[in-house]
Amino acid sequence: MTQLISKKNLRLDGRKLDELRPIKLTVGVLKNADGSAYIEWGRNKIMAGVYGPKECHPKHMALPDRALLKCRYHMAPFSVDDRKPPQPSRREIELSKIIREALSPAIVLEDFPRTAIEVYVEVLQSDGSSRIASITAASAALADAGIPMRDLVVGCAVGKVQNKIVADVSDVEDKEGQVDLPVAFMPNLNLVTLLQSDGALTKEEFEKAFKLALEKGRYVYEIVRDALLEGFIERREGS
Amino acid sequence: MTKIIRKFVLPGDLIVRGNYPPAPNTYQFEDGLHSLKVGLSEIEGKNVRVIPLAGKYIPRPDDLVVGVIVDMNAFAWSVDINSFFPAFLTATDVFGKRYSPESVDLSSKFDIGDVIIARVAAYDRSKDPMLTVAGPKLGKVNGGYLMKISPVKVPRLIGRRGSMSKMIEEATGTRITIGQNGVIVINGEPSKIPLAVKAIEMVEAQAHLAGLSVNVQNFLSKETGRDVKRPSDGPSRTEESYDDGESE
Amino acid sequence: MSAEERKHEFVDSIRREQVIRTLQTGVRLDGRRMDEYRKIKIDVGPIVKADGSALVQIGNTKALVGVKVMVGTPFPDTPDEGILTVNADILPIASPYEEPGPPDESTIELSRVVDRGIRESHMIDMGSLVLEKGKRVYSIFVDITVLDVDGNLFDAVSYAAVTALATTKYRKATLKGDQVVYSEKRVPLKPQTIPASVTTAKIGRSLVVDPDWLEEAVMDARLTLTFNSDDELCATQKGGTFGFTPEEILKQMEVAREKARENRIILKEAIEGAKKK
Repeated sequence: MTQLISKKNLRLDGRKLDELRPIKLTVGVLKNADGSAYIEWGRNKIMAGVYGPKECHPKHMALPDRALLKCRYHMAPFSVDDRKPPQPSRREIELSKIIREALSPAIVLEDFPRTAIEVYVEVLQSDGSSRIASITAASAALADAGIPMRDLVVGCAVGKVQNKIVADVSDVEDKEGQVDLPVAFMPNLNLVTLLQSDGALTKEEFEKAFKLALEKGRYVYEIVRDALLEGFIERREGS
Repeated sequence: MTKIIRKFVLPGDLIVRGNYPPAPNTYQFEDGLHSLKVGLSEIEGKNVRVIPLAGKYIPRPDDLVVGVIVDMNAFAWSVDINSFFPAFLTATDVFGKRYSPESVDLSSKFDIGDVIIARVAAYDRSKDPMLTVAGPKLGKVNGGYLMKISPVKVPRLIGRRGSMSKMIEEATGTRITIGQNGVIVINGEPSKIPLAVKAIEMVEAQAHLAGLSVNVQNFLSKETGRDVKRPSDGPSRTEESYDDGESE
Repeated sequence: MSAEERKHEFVDSIRREQVIRTLQTGVRLDGRRMDEYRKIKIDVGPIVKADGSALVQIGNTKALVGVKVMVGTPFPDTPDEGILTVNADILPIASPYEEPGPPDESTIELSRVVDRGIRESHMIDMGSLVLEKGKRVYSIFVDITVLDVDGNLFDAVSYAAVTALATTKYRKATLKGDQVVYSEKRVPLKPQTIPASVTTAKIGRSLVVDPDWLEEAVMDARLTLTFNSDDELCATQKGGTFGFTPEEILKQMEVAREKARENRIILKEAIEGAKKK
């Protein structure tokens, strides 16, 4: 089995235990979508696009008092080591639901009854914690589309690897580590909207990991803020 | 003059602490007013405004809109008004209450593809927007140049008491009809229209920049070789604000 | 939209108000405390054709699990481990909102959450299920059928799956050349731990365990926490369209840990009881 953490407490990619991978986010990258964002988080490359509010099709699915939020998380066949067939897998179906439920509390759906808001997340390359990167990009894309949002949604996946708590789990750490714990939350409203875990954690380990996720999530928030403001300024100057 | 405090805001950002009257694009949370959008917040005394960077057109009664007929049946036309629902213009609005579907063919008045200037007669969350063309200067648009800008930039393009659009009209000798839904019709000599289009695009791109009118004024002066005047307040105002049409 | 979300539309505002207001007084509509489960009834081995089975009822929610163990080929990246497949099906008879057809997203989520609860707790030692490394391993199928929906499918299904697995007796297989020969002798699937899940619903500011149908229909968010026999957290799933504050999560973690201990006793009693037969 691979030695995931060295004696000097450095991870396979050289990071310290609580260090995040480099994150780069740009908004307004797609011409057709009402809002869009592209994120590179470590080796994750994810494109998020938003359409809406728009007429809801099929009409019988429309909700009388709010917009219907639809979300599709999809991985490109070439995004992972072993080619993934293009049809939605059960994992993608579950993640589509989880991501939708992570974004839903942030959007003022009640402002647009009988419409649909569609969020598409395309994972072009996957390398651990893709659901958190997806949510982060999707909330930036929603803001980019001008859809009213109470807050942005950001997060961080923490893990337990070789009995140590680490921040921002990579693919190999997820596969060969002990615990993967993704957390997504709204930073201003202090509300956790995605929380999953697998692997054994004592009470103390959970508390340490959970608090680390919230702390690092705020750092991700700053990156998203900068990206949105930069997109704002660029458009202001007509570039 | 009251000082206007401006800052960039993102969804969730606290704009101002305390109890303030509700304002569009904001919401009240425990500590104060927070923004719902990416945009520019302006605080003028007790008035808070958020001018969003983006957003679709949400119809409001009495809005002037420019739309395109996309469908019709025996009773109404379906009009694309660049929003998330098509709007309806009823035959009774055009032909009167005595109108009967058997004797009148709707396409005789407006056909598919026609551009119309209308007002929003009614809109609430339970029904699609209803339009009316009963009123002066409403009805079919016969020719002109059609362009679209983001609806959130419309107030800037109109300017305080129409000052920005008037300036562009006078400098280019065109007539500009601006729909609140971001659809614009420019009428005038074909040679003058490209300049008007460029000026409008400039406003859209720099809508959040202070000093925009000066920039547009300078641009128009340079392009026309004339001294274009800004029909707004005196030169002592270095900071601009504008009436975005929302009643306070 | 899944059946779970369609449910929300059909609760009238009077009943919704009723639930919320009653909860604010610290009690639930059916008189339970916030941290009280409905009666849990476990029937072990109702399906004799399965290698292991259990029917669990929590209130009116009824979940039936059948376990079948067969010989299969291992996954290429785990040649020295057996296979565990968990699949849930909510029958159309179980609820007016269920339609026949392939599993929808809620059902898939249910399968995967229960799967993780079992897998991540290492309830079954997958390494002990190898017949021939890289070629033949035991493949465990956990098939879940929900017969009646009255809230808290996650726990009912999980308890049924855990009980069925813990009481599974499968035919030992041997390899004669290329042939798999099943003997008449049956061996037990010995569990290394008994994972117990506890599901909480957040309604307004109240947190209630084991939500019934109405509480689930009006809830804002859901949290399912699974603990192993050492009281360690081994799986988590937040669901629903709202969220929890970090403080709520930490507080409910301890409430759930205690409830898991209590419910594990019930599971163990059922498992031990079956062994005596």
